[in-house]
Amino acid sequence: MAHDAHHHGSYLTPKGGFWTTVADWATTVDHKKIGMMYLVAILFMFFIGGMAAMAVRLELFEPVRTHVDPTTGAAHVTGQLFGSKADADAGNIKPGNNLYNRLFTLHGAIMVFMVIVPSIPASLGNFFLPLMLGAKDVAFPRLNLLSWYIYVIGSIFAVTSIILGGVDTGWTFYTPYSTTTDPGFNRVAIMTLAAFILGFSSILTGLNFVVTVHKLRAPGMGWFDMPLFIWAVYAAAIIQVLATPVIGITLLLLTFERIFRVGIFDPALGGDPVLFQHFFWFYSHPVVYVMILPGMGVISDVLAVQSHKKIFGYRAIAFASLGIAGVSFIVWGHHMFASMSELASMVFSALTFLVAIPTAVKVFNWIATLYKGSIVLNAPMVYTLIFLFLFSIGGLTGLPLGTLSTDLHLHDTYFVVAHFHYVMMGGTIMALMAGIHHWWPKMTGRMYDEKGAIAGALLVFIGFNLTFFTQFFLGSRGMPRRYASYVDEFQIWHQISTIGSFVILLGFLVHLFVFLASLATGKKAPANPWGGLTLEWVADSPPDEHNFHHEPIVTHGPYDFETVVPPHWDPKDYPIPAENKVAVSHH
Amino acid sequence: MSDLTPAMNSHLTLGNVFTNDWWHKLWFRADGATDLAQSTDETGMWLWWFCTLWFVFLMALMFYFVVKYRRKKGQIAARSPSHNTPLEIAWTVIPTLFLVWIFFKGFWTYMDKVMAPGDAITLDLTASKWNWDLIYQNGSRSNSTTTIGARTIPVFYMPANQAIQLRLQSADVMHAFFVPAFRTKQDIFPNRFTTTWFMANLPSGSKTHPKTVAEFETLKASAAAKGGTYSGAEYIKGLEGAPYEDHWLFCAEYCGEEHSEMAAIIRVVPNDEKNGFHFNRWLQSIGTDSLTPLEYGKRLYTSQGCSQCHSVDGKTSTGPTWKNLYGYPVTFTDGTSMSAEERTNVETFSNYTREAILVPGAKIVAGFQNQMTPYAGRLKDRELNSLITYIMSLSDKAPQGLPAGDGAAAQPANGAQPAPASPVPAPVPAK
Repeated sequence: MAHDAHHHGSYLTPKGGFWTTVADWATTVDHKKIGMMYLVAILFMFFIGGMAAMAVRLELFEPVRTHVDPTTGAAHVTGQLFGSKADADAGNIKPGNNLYNRLFTLHGAIMVFMVIVPSIPASLGNFFLPLMLGAKDVAFPRLNLLSWYIYVIGSIFAVTSIILGGVDTGWTFYTPYSTTTDPGFNRVAIMTLAAFILGFSSILTGLNFVVTVHKLRAPGMGWFDMPLFIWAVYAAAIIQVLATPVIGITLLLLTFERIFRVGIFDPALGGDPVLFQHFFWFYSHPVVYVMILPGMGVISDVLAVQSHKKIFGYRAIAFASLGIAGVSFIVWGHHMFASMSELASMVFSALTFLVAIPTAVKVFNWIATLYKGSIVLNAPMVYTLIFLFLFSIGGLTGLPLGTLSTDLHLHDTYFVVAHFHYVMMGGTIMALMAGIHHWWPKMTGRMYDEKGAIAGALLVFIGFNLTFFTQFFLGSRGMPRRYASYVDEFQIWHQISTIGSFVILLGFLVHLFVFLASLATGKKAPANPWGGLTLEWVADSPPDEHNFHHEPIVTHGPYDFETVVPPHWDPKDYPIPAENKVAVSHH
Repeated sequence: MSDLTPAMNSHLTLGNVFTNDWWHKLWFRADGATDLAQSTDETGMWLWWFCTLWFVFLMALMFYFVVKYRRKKGQIAARSPSHNTPLEIAWTVIPTLFLVWIFFKGFWTYMDKVMAPGDAITLDLTASKWNWDLIYQNGSRSNSTTTIGARTIPVFYMPANQAIQLRLQSADVMHAFFVPAFRTKQDIFPNRFTTTWFMANLPSGSKTHPKTVAEFETLKASAAAKGGTYSGAEYIKGLEGAPYEDHWLFCAEYCGEEHSEMAAIIRVVPNDEKNGFHFNRWLQSIGTDSLTPLEYGKRLYTSQGCSQCHSVDGKTSTGPTWKNLYGYPVTFTDGTSMSAEERTNVETFSNYTREAILVPGAKIVAGFQNQMTPYAGRLKDRELNSLITYIMSLSDKAPQGLPAGDGAAAQPANGAQPAPASPVPAPVPAK
């Protein structure tokens, strides 16, 4: 072919022997390789965090019971997975509770800081943002590599803290518990340092994306010609850049307080624990939208491509992303209804409901997009439908939590646990799975087994609802969160939940097998297996080292499926009906 | 039974799933014990139906479209509108109106929940790792406890149909006051007071207090015969046959290794003319003036939370056991020690114990870490003296005038102690 002269080969082509290849990846500034390295690192941390979750679920299968022999007075403990036999025989529940507390902290900290926050932007975002914009790379490729190393260093700090004995503060590090629990303070300090370092990775990635979107769009691509995935990642990147420094400062203050005994958060030194909560949630609420916005972007794109349908209300979805990003900064107080003044609670409750509006608009738009589409039910689409199902539940159950009177009951119970798992796992992780399947052929150059992937998706879906829907009942019936044990009447719900978690595990194992099988023996992927119109489908599968053979020029909207034959497709396979051609107009 | 046995239970039975009642039982156990709990449930159930209808509507639409518009081979989607301004305005404005309504629904009940009425009685409730300490208006503390597994948790008597405001504070880290049946929650801080209030109902058909000691013993024996522990009300003078309703008090803000065991029971009893002022009679009866130091010390051992970390039978827990402290040598983490002779000297021992309670970090027994909340400023002199007396009594070298052994003779003046001829053996200390 004519463009062979510029052909450098796939980005996956090894540069030489094993060590040369390793060195090449370790020093690469190619956004695709960095995206893949992020994906591997994030999936590895997802595995560790998931194992901690399984351990937590196993402990909760049975409540802790202490049996007292009426004649000898000797106590014996049962139902403690993590207690040693000696402790059980001595009637001592504390070591077991302690380990449980470390495990749920481990699960929360890893899943939030090392999995969900970076998940979609750092992996799929890095890989596809430049491709979808028609760019050769992100704006600052070296900074991009640096942010990956910062992520790895942060994760090493976190793992070190775990190896040294773990942290039992919960991922929220509330003071004064977090400043008093670990007398040497080393482990808590190392864990907060880890979160601090990971924050920089997030800031640098966000900065890189904002500049890339502003400066590196292909000729012909205006702001409203960008795929919605880009809009969502862009909105999330703005939050990352603006909000993450706050958690950095907060965690530094926490460490300063501990080392220099300056009273900031600890009442014993004259500080105020509520101040910590304000600082913490001023970051950690916006970051919830760093977690979900890119997921919403994935869903917009997958939904449109897999149903060959122009997305309904493109501008509404784009502006909803920016709207959510804006409102995200003024709702942090809804995490603190039980600890703030009445006036502040009232204001934050009212503001919180604002988030529901753009979110609802997006859901309506997605469902309207399906209308008169040409929908194919493959794994990415199945995951997209799962996302819509679970995320709708997650969103709607936010209403009783934003409502003041019901929140005073539901706050800090399993209802909250269920709600944020529906949003974070049911939202972000399901979107990540949709995206991984959707772009798997592009990233790896191989097709995956459709039947296996759908089976995995259905297992995850069933297991997820078993695990987390029961937790809504637990919460509204009064079970507080972060409990190592509970009253008898909750046991049946916990048992269903634990069984469900094993079904989720099974589902992910099926996915792992499907992915490995695809890498080993998968069919070679065509450049545009789904008939997408965005620029990543113009590139080869896997893409050339420099992404495109020629600089692409954008001549149609990202979702003009009714009037444009997808790149690499034969017009014979894509017979555009005559009536569609009547009114051809670009966006 | 788990360590936290439900003192109250609701049974879910199959029923008409289209009735609000059935879902109310499923979601909220339908056990709201205050008027505000019931109006909270009303909002909760309204939201449940609202969310369900929206969800079913959206999902029905989604599945219908997915089935109807499945891809047909060799055919691409026909043109259809990708934008419709009136529709888009409608689906932005209508949810917004609903959200405004939901906000106000929640706000009204919330204001009632956080503003106590003017005639409320104010009581002080202090949370600490991992115990609740309530002081009544006459300065006395509840002497009622219940045993759950090996654990003793406090029972706080509360008058029905009387507004009670709690002034909350923490002795250490953050905790939170959460009574599911009251549908309310309030964080508790170490550096400021917060308040919450409730006015509990006492529905007819409640359980009743045993009328006699014998009845209480029978209840305990029949529970033991079934392999369980009786967790209902004990025999209490002045409350014979009085109805009561138990509610869990949980800690809802994570506070460390026994966060999930930091429970108490709120026991609502009648307080009306017709039923004979049950609560007030009980309140008068728990005055502490008539107790001997030993009796009072034993009561403080549970009510002040000492029992969470210190055993009295020789078992090692978070803190050293209180068994055999007096008269036995001890070594501290800084390498210093006290000899058996020093520990037999009442003055030296008492001063050491005083310091250990008020400033726990001053000397730490070898093999332990200091996790104890300082009690300086929290105990009156009489309370401190009584505790030290009780600790001394737990040594088999206890001085004359104090009973030897575990202080079994020093049961609370009224309440749970078995009658002299009780068939249930008194607890025997482990070796």
